[in-house]
Amino acid sequence: MKRLSVIVLVVTAFAQNVFAEEGAAPPPMMMPTYQMRAPLPEGDRLETTGSGEELFSNRCGSCHLPFGMGTNVLTVQRLALGEPPEMGLLTNREDLGAAYVKAVVRNGKVGMPRLNRVEVTDSELERIADFLGRGKP
Amino acid sequence: MKRVLPPNLTDREFDLALKAFAKVVGEDWVLASDQDRSTYADIYAPGPEDQWPPSGAIAPGSVAEVQEVVRIANRFKTPLWTVSRGKNLGYGAAAPRLPGALVLDLGRMNKVQHVDTELGYCVVEPGVSFFDLYEHLERMNANLMMSVPGNAWGSVMGNALDHGVGYTPYGLNARHICGMEVVMPDGGLMRTGMGAMEGNHSAHLFPFNYGPSWDQMFSQSNLGVVTSMGLWLMPQPETSLLLSMSVPNEEDIGWVIDTLTPLKIQGVIEQSIFVPSWLGKVVLMGTRKDFWDKPGRMPDWRVQEILKQNKLGFWTVGVRLYGDEAVVRAKADVVKRAFKRSTDIPMEESWWRQGEPVDVMDPSNGVPSAVALQMGDWVGGRSAHLGFSPVVPATSKHVLGQMRRSKKLIEDYDLDFYASFTIGGRFCNNINMLMYDRDDADGVRKVKALFDELIDVTRKAGYGEYRTHLNWMDPVAETFDFNDNAMTRYTEVIKDALDPNGILSPGKMGVWPAAYREHAQRGKHS
Repeated sequence: MKRLSVIVLVVTAFAQNVFAEEGAAPPPMMMPTYQMRAPLPEGDRLETTGSGEELFSNRCGSCHLPFGMGTNVLTVQRLALGEPPEMGLLTNREDLGAAYVKAVVRNGKVGMPRLNRVEVTDSELERIADFLGRGKP
Repeated sequence: MKRVLPPNLTDREFDLALKAFAKVVGEDWVLASDQDRSTYADIYAPGPEDQWPPSGAIAPGSVAEVQEVVRIANRFKTPLWTVSRGKNLGYGAAAPRLPGALVLDLGRMNKVQHVDTELGYCVVEPGVSFFDLYEHLERMNANLMMSVPGNAWGSVMGNALDHGVGYTPYGLNARHICGMEVVMPDGGLMRTGMGAMEGNHSAHLFPFNYGPSWDQMFSQSNLGVVTSMGLWLMPQPETSLLLSMSVPNEEDIGWVIDTLTPLKIQGVIEQSIFVPSWLGKVVLMGTRKDFWDKPGRMPDWRVQEILKQNKLGFWTVGVRLYGDEAVVRAKADVVKRAFKRSTDIPMEESWWRQGEPVDVMDPSNGVPSAVALQMGDWVGGRSAHLGFSPVVPATSKHVLGQMRRSKKLIEDYDLDFYASFTIGGRFCNNINMLMYDRDDADGVRKVKALFDELIDVTRKAGYGEYRTHLNWMDPVAETFDFNDNAMTRYTEVIKDALDPNGILSPGKMGVWPAAYREHAQRGKHS
């Protein structure tokens, strides 16, 4: 139970930090952000004009925003590596490169399933990978 | 994943079919590279993924495109395996039952076409996920609540069509479908219910047809491709109250069910009531090796230690009541009085009132989450799960019998017992979760042999599954054996009449068209 409590506390802290840092009001009913992802950008998904940040939120957010299953699992892994809990959020990571992100999305990794090109188009994935990789190839 | 052709097709014929599909949906939405095939494989496959290989996928973006794809599939005899979003995890994900079938991926059709806040329903396309619908309802302040399953990553429509369950008063998702639009196996289009009349105002309100009703004919079905459907949504309650308690012993499930079922049938409790065993809580606390680092099932003494250390019971009872505060209060008193007859354990109260934060880990709040999939971390490695899911009458006699039977067998196979009973009315869905590391070949073999035996033993006792993984669709269909499997034979007569080329989802739930019937695994197990 202690471990669950730690995870809950960690992700709650994430949510609070996200709101505080962005200076944004919590969404209606104070829902955590992963349940209110950015909308899918309008237009042709094969040549998206959406930003990497909003595409990451919409396409990956149900697992990788605060409270998401992926965030919870990665938080435990990062803690075990001696890193602070906020490293469970992919957007806080500095060690990701675009090629690595693309490989994990298409090939999967441990609990992360492969995503097909309907779920994330190549065009969307380019922008997401660039966003998470912070410009690193 | 290498190309596996549909039965009876040459490479050339298949390539011609792909070209014809591309003319309709566009080349970018014909997904037939090795990598594409891998992304449609069963990521939790019990055994090699290429046991259920797709030849590729086609992703139409409109009803008209679906119709044309179905017509082309008839022309080239390319079988299609329809998925809404392909997240049927534990039951085969997006992978087809027939090797070489093309996945008809409807994920691009992802519009919430309509929400009626006054009468409480929505009309959704197949690609709408629970997260999508939730956000749509929140953004429009619809004040409506969804019924969400444990894994909300999937499609609202796909889940309801596959008889998935949620944990609110609308938890029997398939029962809240009302009015569908369906592409027929010949590419024609029809609407069910009142919607069969062009422009009818009650298309998603009245649950029957004029004449025989067809809505349920398209659930767990290969008789059409549903392209949109109406789904009733519950008004957001003013309050809800969670009454919870842990009950210490495995046999306690008997009196718990006998206490809850009358309250459910009377309508005091409206929700589908989820009662998980202890492992359902512990899988969220870490990995198995944190609790027991030896192979084989955890011994009873260690289970008791874990329960004590974590102040858990063998079962967790959580009853959520919804509505006006005074009504909820009165119902809570009735529930507590009923439990008092069997136990002195107090029920903890946890109120929620409109405007307050919601516990996102509790699907009875109607908020989507994929956190339940964290159980994948339990066994380690490339972990996966299967659900063995029989339906039993909601009485202690049947529930205890089922629990003892499956628990003994699961433990005979040296695996940890993890089960839940969800009371949906006069019955329970009993899910026995079997978790395994996909890279542990012996472990996978063991789980498959166990699954075979569970089906047999459970059938002999007089119970059947409500849903199953691709690998057991035929064996489970065979357990519905009244009058030489009359129901399956009847469905196949309809199948052959509507779909003479057998192109829609051959083998779904053990229903095979004549064209591919030789692929049925009848009289054999895994």
